[in-house]
Amino acid sequence: MVRLVDVPEPERSVIADLACPAYDDTPAVKPPPPGLRHVAIVSTAGFIVRGERPMLSNETGYRAIAADIGDGDILCSHVSTNFDRTGFQQDLNVMLPRDRLVELEREGCIGRAADTHYAFMGATSPPKLEDKARELGRSMLALGVNTVVLAPV
Amino acid sequence: MSGLAHYLEDEGLATVIVALVREHIVGMRPPRALWVPFELGRPFGPPGNTGLQRRVLSEALALLDQDCPEPLLRDFSEAVIDPGDDAGWRFPGTLDSDSLRAEVAGVSPVWQLARERIGRSSVGISGLAPESVAEFIERYHSPQPMPNPKGMARVSRARFAVDDIKAFYLEAAMAAGGHPSPRQLHDWFWGQTHAGALILEFQEMARVSEDGNLQLIAGSLVPAERTISFLRG
Repeated sequence: MVRLVDVPEPERSVIADLACPAYDDTPAVKPPPPGLRHVAIVSTAGFIVRGERPMLSNETGYRAIAADIGDGDILCSHVSTNFDRTGFQQDLNVMLPRDRLVELEREGCIGRAADTHYAFMGATSPPKLEDKARELGRSMLALGVNTVVLAPV
Repeated sequence: MSGLAHYLEDEGLATVIVALVREHIVGMRPPRALWVPFELGRPFGPPGNTGLQRRVLSEALALLDQDCPEPLLRDFSEAVIDPGDDAGWRFPGTLDSDSLRAEVAGVSPVWQLARERIGRSSVGISGLAPESVAEFIERYHSPQPMPNPKGMARVSRARFAVDDIKAFYLEAAMAAGGHPSPRQLHDWFWGQTHAGALILEFQEMARVSEDGNLQLIAGSLVPAERTISFLRG
């Protein structure tokens, strides 16, 4: 199963019919050169740190996942049952490739892997995420992060 | 995901999306996206393939080097072949078919082995002990339900207990390694275990419940294509 047409019904229609908000323009920042990129991952998997309150459906906030949080303490609270979790259960990097990002830093492909990555609840409609997304953006900039890899589920 | 790209770029961060649903990217026009041909839930490919994860991440970051005035959507450069099922895979333990509790007791040591092999577990989101999550659901509507610890509404606890049951069983199913496909694992769980049957029954009960909160979680318990109501048409 690799393309939308291969997703079984009824989930295929749900995904295909999701209302996608229209944006008048596409803001595009001029990216820093590779060696100056300070990169964070922002996931929509609804990750939480073990012991935190799980995210709920339509939650608009985000959670921070610091580098010193072990893989076993990162849990997925996404509301949807319609994506595979067995890959994540075996290997966190299937959804949150933070180890790969550190490797790219060590090899000089990027300037720095961020100390903290972040997660939203992907089932929430995008306009409802705007305030918190902008807040997170400002927070990341204050920490020196200038580049974001957005990872879905 | 594309909405986040718009907002973060507007705040001054350069973004690139690793995209699973191409159609959404086309509709929402984020600045840069790499479409990958993987199953939902696996944006960086199959578990354990660190080389492929690296190549996906590297190709995504490379889009930042493209000088392109229009939204940039590229396809991942590699053809990915679905390996299909692992014909040799079997549940690596003995399932006692007498009762749910006996089954859980049988799964538990296998899950412990899986946890050691994998080095972690994703069980625990409900806050209940792994061996008691199924009982929480089984007794949800009984005259003597299990106590709900403080900190989470009972109906939310039930939703996350279901997540924990699935993780407990599916992690145990991978205790001996191999490469069972997600479909294969779910066929086993939903078709051959008491726990799967318990969740299907609970989902049906929630779907028609007069409790609005329980109705709300009904859609978050069972993959849509495996629900009783869908299969019955």
